[in-house]
Amino acid sequence: MGNSQPKRIEEFLIREILLIFGLVALALVQVTLLPTPLGFPPALLLILAICRLLVGIGEGESHPESSVAAAIRWAFYGGIGLDLCSASPLGSHALALLLAVILVTLVTRHLRVEGEGLLLPILAVLLGMLVYEGMLALLLYGPTLAQALAPIDWQRYAVVVFLPSILQALIPTLPLFMLLRRLFRAR
Amino acid sequence: MRDYLDNRQIKLSGHTPRRPLLLAVLFCGLALLLLYGDQRGMLAPVRGALEQVLSPAAQQLTAIRDGVTGFWMGVGDVRQLREENEALRQEVTRLQEELIAHEEALAENVNLRQQLAIEGDTPWHLLGAEVTVRLPDAGRRVILIARGTQDGVRPGMAVVGQTETEPTALVGIVEEVSVHTASILLITDFGSQISARVLHDTSSTLGLVQGQWQRGSRLRLADVTRDLPLTVGDTVVSAGLTSELNLPLALAAVPDGIPIGEVESINTDGHTQVAELRPYVDPDQVKYVWVILNQSE
Repeated sequence: MGNSQPKRIEEFLIREILLIFGLVALALVQVTLLPTPLGFPPALLLILAICRLLVGIGEGESHPESSVAAAIRWAFYGGIGLDLCSASPLGSHALALLLAVILVTLVTRHLRVEGEGLLLPILAVLLGMLVYEGMLALLLYGPTLAQALAPIDWQRYAVVVFLPSILQALIPTLPLFMLLRRLFRAR
Repeated sequence: MRDYLDNRQIKLSGHTPRRPLLLAVLFCGLALLLLYGDQRGMLAPVRGALEQVLSPAAQQLTAIRDGVTGFWMGVGDVRQLREENEALRQEVTRLQEELIAHEEALAENVNLRQQLAIEGDTPWHLLGAEVTVRLPDAGRRVILIARGTQDGVRPGMAVVGQTETEPTALVGIVEEVSVHTASILLITDFGSQISARVLHDTSSTLGLVQGQWQRGSRLRLADVTRDLPLTVGDTVVSAGLTSELNLPLALAAVPDGIPIGEVESINTDGHTQVAELRPYVDPDQVKYVWVILNQSE
């Protein structure tokens, strides 16, 4: 009895460390291995974090907040991994991913889909990508904007950056969602 | 209530999670702290150490991706045609380089005053580097190379690349350097600005090349006086005059004479001309680049 608490903490720490390693590895995969047909890879970690959130909701778990907490952890660890792998300001991807996951959580927290619910991940990733890319634009270009000759043309930015990156992210969303759901159901 | 998207029944839950909310606030605060610390340089040693650990893995994975890409590209190739094609491409590259060198030599005679402000013809000392990582976002045009301060790389150095059909040309400028890695701001990025010289027959004029990727095109040549009318196909090389132009650009100390691209279309903007440029080397496609180490300050 007396040893059960430390054991649980140890198990938690080991699980957390493994999760961090796994997500940093996935960040490496995103920046190096994934194909870049449009000049940039799909936002793998954002898709995974959002799918992790929705897998819980879709299951109709008794404690869906565990899925929310897990998605937030995935977003943070994955974001730090992306920052380290891509030489961007430390915390920028983490913050963008966190805000995307939080917003998707707020929008979907009252939902409990019965059945397959396959359109939900598509819409959630779409919403998440808007937040993610918007935050990154502000975080990465905030200091540069002041020096630039003219501010970012957001209308054009939306066409050149938002639209292709969102479309590219939507392609692997369903396969990843179904894979993740199968894994979690099997567990 | 029904989910109109999937025609499935949706139940409403009034439960408000508190633990995830605290976790989210905690992580957001932590991310902001990291951003602050990183901007102040307080995390540089930790970050450098972690990047050093990740860099070999990134190189390995990139090599795997390039190998896979190369394999698929090679499928169905006829060996003889490939060799012939390769020889012709090399010949075209050589001729283009000679042509640019010739145009530049002609322009030198006319613009002696401007020449004095430009660095002399110092032979470039190049440091080759494989592109290990591209920034994973559509919003920024940055690449990472596995070379750093220990190899002599410093912020502001020019980085050139080469493709099979085009001459060696500028692809970006070293933005940040750690001990073993350096990030390169590509010339197509919105934040990139480089002083340039347009070569037109026997004369030349100055301008400013700006990255335009986020605005829908690749490069834009601005601030060109109307004294020398631009024409489509004019060659644009770096001018090495950034400090003379008194721009707020500590980074863009690029040596002169590096080919950048050619004029594709021209517009007039008040007393100046503006042109869209096609870069000789597409920075998004380069796999291997060279840092010019002996760049003048």
